[in-house]
Amino acid sequence: MTDAVTEAPKPITSRSDPRFEVTLYAHVGAPGSHTLAYYRAHGGYDAARKALGMTPAEVVDEVKASGLRGRGGAGFPTGVKWSFMPPVDGRQRFLVCNADESEPGSFKDRYLLEDDPHQLIEGMLIGGWAIQATLGVVYVRGEYHHAHERLRVALDEARAEGILGTGVLGSDFDFDLILHRGAGAYICGEETSLMNSFEGLRATPRLKPPFPAQAGVYGLPSTINNVESFCAAVHIVARGAAWHAAMGTDDSKGMKLYQVSGPVRRPGVYEMPMGARFRELIFDLAGGPSERAKAIIPGGSSTPMLPWSDATLDLPMDYGTMAKHNSMLGTGGVIVIPEQKCIVDAIYNLVRFYGHESCGKCTPCREGVATWLPKMYRKLLAGQGTRDDLAVMEDMVKNMRGTAFCPLADACAMPVQASFRHFRHEYEHLADTGTSRYPRRREWAE
Amino acid sequence: MRVKVNDRELELAPGTSVIDAVFAAGYDVPYFCSQAYMSPIGACRMCLARIGAPRKDRDGNWLVDDATGEPKVFFFPTMMATCTTVVMEGMVVDTLSKEVKDAQRGMVEFTLINHPLDCPVCDKGGACELQDRAYEYGTGRSRFVFDKRHQEKHHPLSELITLDRERCIHCKRCVRYFEEVPGDEVLDFIERGGHTYIGTLEEGLPSNFTGNITDICPVGALLDATSRFRGRNWEYDHTFTTSLDDASGSAIVIDARTGRIERIKSGINPEVNKSWIDDGIRFGHEYAGDPERLRRPLLRRGDAFEEASWDEAAAFISERLGGLSGKDVGIAIRADATLEEGVAARALAELIGTGQVDHAPRHGPSLVPVHGATLQDLATATAVIVLGDVTEELPALDLRIKDALKGVSPPPLFAHGVPIADLRLKERMPRARERLTVVAPYRVGLMQHAGRPVVVPVGGEAAWLQAMTDVANGTDPDEGALGMGRAEAQGLVRQWREASKAVMVVGGFVLASAKATDAAAALAKAVGASQLLVPPMANGRGLEITQVLPSHARYDYRGMLAGSAKALLLSGLDPARDPATAARLGACELLVVHDLFLTDTAKLAHVVLPGKSGYEKDGTTVSLEGRFLPVRAAPVDNGEAEDLTGVVKVLGEAFGKRLEGRSVRSARRVLRKELGFDPAELDRLGLLHDLPRRRSGVSVGPRQEATGAALRVPTMVRPEYLARNPRLRAALGDLALRLHPADAAGHDLHDGDEVRVPVDGAPWRLRIVLSEAVPRGVCLVPATPDAPVGRAHVALEQVVHERRALEVA
Repeated sequence: MTDAVTEAPKPITSRSDPRFEVTLYAHVGAPGSHTLAYYRAHGGYDAARKALGMTPAEVVDEVKASGLRGRGGAGFPTGVKWSFMPPVDGRQRFLVCNADESEPGSFKDRYLLEDDPHQLIEGMLIGGWAIQATLGVVYVRGEYHHAHERLRVALDEARAEGILGTGVLGSDFDFDLILHRGAGAYICGEETSLMNSFEGLRATPRLKPPFPAQAGVYGLPSTINNVESFCAAVHIVARGAAWHAAMGTDDSKGMKLYQVSGPVRRPGVYEMPMGARFRELIFDLAGGPSERAKAIIPGGSSTPMLPWSDATLDLPMDYGTMAKHNSMLGTGGVIVIPEQKCIVDAIYNLVRFYGHESCGKCTPCREGVATWLPKMYRKLLAGQGTRDDLAVMEDMVKNMRGTAFCPLADACAMPVQASFRHFRHEYEHLADTGTSRYPRRREWAE
Repeated sequence: MRVKVNDRELELAPGTSVIDAVFAAGYDVPYFCSQAYMSPIGACRMCLARIGAPRKDRDGNWLVDDATGEPKVFFFPTMMATCTTVVMEGMVVDTLSKEVKDAQRGMVEFTLINHPLDCPVCDKGGACELQDRAYEYGTGRSRFVFDKRHQEKHHPLSELITLDRERCIHCKRCVRYFEEVPGDEVLDFIERGGHTYIGTLEEGLPSNFTGNITDICPVGALLDATSRFRGRNWEYDHTFTTSLDDASGSAIVIDARTGRIERIKSGINPEVNKSWIDDGIRFGHEYAGDPERLRRPLLRRGDAFEEASWDEAAAFISERLGGLSGKDVGIAIRADATLEEGVAARALAELIGTGQVDHAPRHGPSLVPVHGATLQDLATATAVIVLGDVTEELPALDLRIKDALKGVSPPPLFAHGVPIADLRLKERMPRARERLTVVAPYRVGLMQHAGRPVVVPVGGEAAWLQAMTDVANGTDPDEGALGMGRAEAQGLVRQWREASKAVMVVGGFVLASAKATDAAAALAKAVGASQLLVPPMANGRGLEITQVLPSHARYDYRGMLAGSAKALLLSGLDPARDPATAARLGACELLVVHDLFLTDTAKLAHVVLPGKSGYEKDGTTVSLEGRFLPVRAAPVDNGEAEDLTGVVKVLGEAFGKRLEGRSVRSARRVLRKELGFDPAELDRLGLLHDLPRRRSGVSVGPRQEATGAALRVPTMVRPEYLARNPRLRAALGDLALRLHPADAAGHDLHDGDEVRVPVDGAPWRLRIVLSEAVPRGVCLVPATPDAPVGRAHVALEQVVHERRALEVA
């Protein structure tokens, strides 16, 4: 392998690579970074101007060539998604930004919205031009009050300066954004539920097909992307697809906002190239675990956990590698689980969350995720469980996998299955002795 | 599309759902949320199967399995819900493997964890989809050891429907039904996750079509309150018949137990009512089991009646008739009589030698349009013109019009019936409102779905139709009558003309006037629309085409009552509410009344004969579209009640004659000759059969038309029986006099007052309902068989309060 790649430069897969430069989060945390004046002073809206000088098809091709994959968790190629839009036919077209960041362990979009709202606006302008949509919707998570406020002010600034509205940035392209605040439902992070919620309907997922490109918001052609995807598009247009594609691994290109939480010394959001390793994130950037750890959740609470080991720490964080190890990159929200924490209790906390957030539309989720599974965990944690109960739980969770209407049931089932895979002994200890192998915190005891 | 289901290959049209492919192949998958005529949503996750399909490479060639050389089948990574998956070329469906069975078993287990297993006391027991599927696909035992969800068990959604929230399995059929079928969004899910339940925003279910949710509920969560706890499903006798409550020809199933009708459910006739009926048909049956029903003939002895045998009654009648000239005898039957009863009435008139035979209510104009439409035409029309209040007059039309607004053609029929999951149907489909124009003298319910609602003055239909015809013909219209600008009228006419199929529905307000009816026909002709004429009662069209008509216009029902007949046989009619008519009836030499109850008219009679309700007759009816449909008798204990063929049999025998209509069979021999087919051979779906318009040269109209500023309006319920239908009455309230609040103020009338008021001189007890939908200066009162839809005089100045509504301080 080493002799074949002499002329092609090695892809950037580490933040310590001198060629790597922080872009998405370059201004997060800087005083006044949320203002239009600051954003303009740092080259703001130049990329949008550049995009408006290209044809929409060229913008889509640029994003396709960059290898950008959706940063909301599923990792669908963004450029390909944009190209799914039907030809312009006079109907209203919508560009939707999914800013309903609700996955436990994920908090990257929050700081983009709070400290760099104009970056999102610029990204959506580029996306709107690419898919020829004149209206955009930003659906902000209900709990993100501060982000909503910053975005509201930013939109007003942008409209006042002719960045949004008729003839944006002096072109003949019209584009405006509708800011919509959610009401605190996790299911609204699912794209079609989000659209139902935006339309004022009950937030339940819709049947696909038709996909949003055919029938999205109000049954009209729509494209929906994550905040980080839009922000990445700004830099792809500004610096070119090749710059973006130079970072990352074979199937995962560009930079990614990784988040790390749990018992580490400096939890937070770190921008790194795709394919960076857990070790770099957790030890070099986050300062290492503050107590002994036993597992890592790699990409937000719904992704299956990996055991804490040297082998795991050396895995590159990209889509393909995570899939190969029966997990997912998800949103890149890494959660470190300490050793002195009962895994059954930790997973019960997640199950409780998903049970609370189930919309109730389909049977496996309503009856399995929201009803039966939390009851089983409560029984187990109350010291009344048996090994038979463990078998029932495993079988029930198997029945929840791939049978539900939307991925919420899978999102609940996957971490449960992973916990059984890696920490079965803790479940058995609890079932056999009635007490946890590790101490339990009583915050959510009922 | 070639699809292989397990071991069977079959060819299916593109767009077919996989669940229909499975059933078409003769296999079975369980399902709860899919429902014929409604959108598939994939919520219950019961119909899971393993599905695979071949793929093409980038050049469009099938990817081939190297071992066999056949296109390689790629299976989806997860189980797929067959109801929401569309068939693909070369698709392979597996419903029998262990994996599939395990998944289905898992779903049954999930569905049952919160479902109370109270089947022994549940009305759905024995006819429950969940019960059947749990036996077939479940494990037979539950691993759920916790408390089940506890929610309200007897929640009255309305007076007619009771909801048991614990039994609900959240299939969403009822919620979708209201949005998709009648378009009345009155029900929705409340809360989420494991706490989800269905409920209403306000009290009750304001829709004319609520009862259908009890048919489609797969469990015992939604139950018909009239039949709750009345019997077990296996105890019911099911009678598949046609409703005689209106002229739609709706298929119904009568469930009777020990001689009593306990409930009515919707039958299935894909070309007529699909699988829906209105609440009037469904819940309006309690009168048939009323304890006051006549069970034996009654003979007058002085001021009182005495029970008698049929032979005694017949002997009495024939003796009285013997002293009268035949032509002085009048025979009038209600227009929901069967064709066989019509033949009997004709035979009796012939025996007596009278031309005074008629059916009532009957409008002057013929009910057979020149260019008739069918209900399927209506459902697929691209322009619909409605004249009148069809939601009340013939609710089945309302639903078919809403089909037309969806613009989805009728589904194909499989061996297993209509598609279980028709993927063309979606939740919250857009409706093409601009296709619908509704014209009525007040704001009717259908107008909220109409692109162009037009409220005309009372009696103003003829002028509006004439003006629109003028617009269509390019002549100068009376612009005042158009109710819209001339340019808009021209646009509307162009839209109707250019529509691929235009249908005009003509209701009673127009049919009550010969002039308006002619104007409607002229407009229909000018814009190329076909017509559906709404008969005032179920078999009006049939009795017209089988000539149950007087020999001369002056011998019609009105003429008989006005004095042309000295002896009268009235079947099902009760004209004595009008004091003048009552006085004349009292002076008749012979009055024979054939009815279910001792009505005001029956009290004046010399002989009262016990009649049968529409649920107890065998016979044939003709719907408004000219469809011949079978009517079958449910096993109801009705004493010695007979329909008109039975009356004619005993009367004939008293005269020593074997008359042609002496039984259903003998009447059918006559009908077979006249119609050219045997009504006994009709199947449940009926037969569209054209007969020429009036064959004889007998003129039966025009009669003198009613006048007045008030309107007798159609109601979904049968007003004559409302007092004996306690549930329906509780849900809908007593018969109402509706007027504009501003008009009420001048007469000291308040919403909910009960008043006595003369309508065309006849006293009525009515409940005041104030509504802005009624124009100023107009009162709406209910139409009855003896005073059909049309204009009337209401003497508001003579209102007497019976009971005032409680004043809220």
